[in-house]
Amino acid sequence: MRIIQGVHATMGATIAFILGNAVLAPSLAKRESNWLSAGDSGALKDGEPLTVTLRVARQDGATEAVDRRVVFLVRSGDQVKALDSTCTHLGCRTRYNADAKHIECPCHGGVYDLEGRVVSGPPPSPLIELPTRIDGTRVLVQV
Amino acid sequence: MLTRVLDWLDSRTGYRAGLSHLLDEPLPPGTGWAFTTGSVISLLLGIQFLSGVVLAMYYVPSPALAYDSVQYIMRGLPMGWMVRGLHVWGSSFIVVATAVHMGRVFAFGSYKAPREVTWLTGLVSFLFILAFSLSGYLLPWDQKAYWATTVTINVAKGTPLIGDFVANVMRGGPELGALTLGRWYVAHVFALPAVLITFVVAHLVLMRRHGISGPIKPGVGAPTAFFPWHVMKDTVVMAVVFASLITLTLLVRAPLDEVANPADADYIPRPEWYFLSLFQLLKYFPGPLEPVATQLIPGAAVGFLALLPFLDAHPERRPWARVRVPYTIGMLVLAAGVTGLTVLGLKDHPEGKKADDWGLLPIAGLELATGEASACTRCHVTGGPAAPLSATGLRRDEEWLLNHMIDPVAIAPGVRTAEDRAPRSAMGRFGAQAVVAYLRRSHAGIPPPELSPSLKLAAYTYASACVNCHRISGEGGTVGPDLTTIGQRRDQAGIRAVIENPAAVYGQSRMPPFKDRLTGAQIEALAEYLAGRK
Repeated sequence: MRIIQGVHATMGATIAFILGNAVLAPSLAKRESNWLSAGDSGALKDGEPLTVTLRVARQDGATEAVDRRVVFLVRSGDQVKALDSTCTHLGCRTRYNADAKHIECPCHGGVYDLEGRVVSGPPPSPLIELPTRIDGTRVLVQV
Repeated sequence: MLTRVLDWLDSRTGYRAGLSHLLDEPLPPGTGWAFTTGSVISLLLGIQFLSGVVLAMYYVPSPALAYDSVQYIMRGLPMGWMVRGLHVWGSSFIVVATAVHMGRVFAFGSYKAPREVTWLTGLVSFLFILAFSLSGYLLPWDQKAYWATTVTINVAKGTPLIGDFVANVMRGGPELGALTLGRWYVAHVFALPAVLITFVVAHLVLMRRHGISGPIKPGVGAPTAFFPWHVMKDTVVMAVVFASLITLTLLVRAPLDEVANPADADYIPRPEWYFLSLFQLLKYFPGPLEPVATQLIPGAAVGFLALLPFLDAHPERRPWARVRVPYTIGMLVLAAGVTGLTVLGLKDHPEGKKADDWGLLPIAGLELATGEASACTRCHVTGGPAAPLSATGLRRDEEWLLNHMIDPVAIAPGVRTAEDRAPRSAMGRFGAQAVVAYLRRSHAGIPPPELSPSLKLAAYTYASACVNCHRISGEGGTVGPDLTTIGQRRDQAGIRAVIENPAAVYGQSRMPPFKDRLTGAQIEALAEYLAGRK
């Protein structure tokens, strides 16, 4: 009796392990990070964010996909900051409002300043800052 | 707590009575190991269903992506190769298990009244299992898939009167393509499972209705319950079959050819082993006699099986008893015919392009595409304008690929920057052919041979000087002789002599002397490589 149950449980567990792995593994995969060139640091002006679109080609299951990541490059002195344009509230794409000199979200009215800090509205936290480094005159952003 | 929940569930559904009805089936005394074959089929069908569901999660039924998606399952998806292995080898296991089960039923005379319809539902299920196999191997859209399906459909086209119509229905039009793949996919994952489940359930219900036939010579004593003694036997046999399937899956990767290439004349299509007998039979009935092999003989075999319980109606169950002998002979002839033809088919294996033979052109392509001087990696890098080569598919046709490699800018807009005025040609036509040949091999997951400096030199020399006229392993021109097995005909010194000055060897030759066109090292590298091709 015990043996029968044991054998069936072993067979079931083997199949469940193989199939479970194949189903769950892609769900647990982490994003790869890459340093991408985001342009020339000379083109940046203090206090005026530059919106750049970074293309990241990556494998998407059986196909290849090109992700477009929109990033604000903000320069202050020698430092260049890269802010991910994804709103921290519910993931809408924020944009720079040159008249008001702040970054705003079209969905629920979230407003950020040029440092990415929340000025008003529902966002729970500042815009995510991406690591940057400067290689000669090129600005590299890690996404 | 659990008991109370289960008590409540039983009071509302009566599941315990149902369960004990299933498990307490009385079995005739003396029911032995021979009666475990059906359980094995149930186990294997279960594995096919589950692994099939997981495969369908990743498979894409379109000619553009089908092959890449199977390749992703085999190489990108963790444990994906095991899931596909279980599904591919499991299909062979089911065909064997079903044949064994039918043989057992015949030997015990189990289909005799009142179990004729049980036999018929089983026979229909078997035919549907074969239809599953047939529709399943088109799906990977590799060379085998494409060509085996082309042959299958042309066999159906041979049907008298309605052949063309049947073939067009199977293809979804006059050509094999996206529409074909769509309908075969739907047949494989929706239609056939629905019909098969219906027939298997009917088979099991009928089995319970009439009880199992039990041993030929009834045992003595009271009937025994299905649970636990027969379940124990079932479990042992199921565990052995399961362990064999897992072992085979671990040891042998499920095969996948190169991507389907309708222009490839070097590929020799072969069906799966369980259709090999039919494939072999075709060879004996050429021309107008073909329907004998494709329709008449298989039809007669199925007809014989379907009529068996009605012809062999005498209650006698021993297969060697005089009233049953004609049918026993019939079954033995059928079994021997299928086995014999399968063995002949296995032996009669024409020499085609060997799947793991890299030849020389792909090796040159490997160097061009991935070597230090690679023009491809100008764009195909992580973060570059195009995905790395390892992540690109082979979805475009040969002409597109060749043109793209010769002039990447012409065919992939956006690659040229403002500073580049002239197109930056990446490589010449033969270089491009070499890279296409390399990509086909590498995308099929065929590991490259070990690259020695001499092999690289031979590959470059072949790609620049010989490929125009000479073919190796399916690639290259056909003006001169095919060099795939040249090592059988000439040794290294003989090959060197021909390359240096063919006229000196043959007296007269259209091939120019290469003594002054190639360096001594190049000629030596070529001669060494070619002498090794046997």
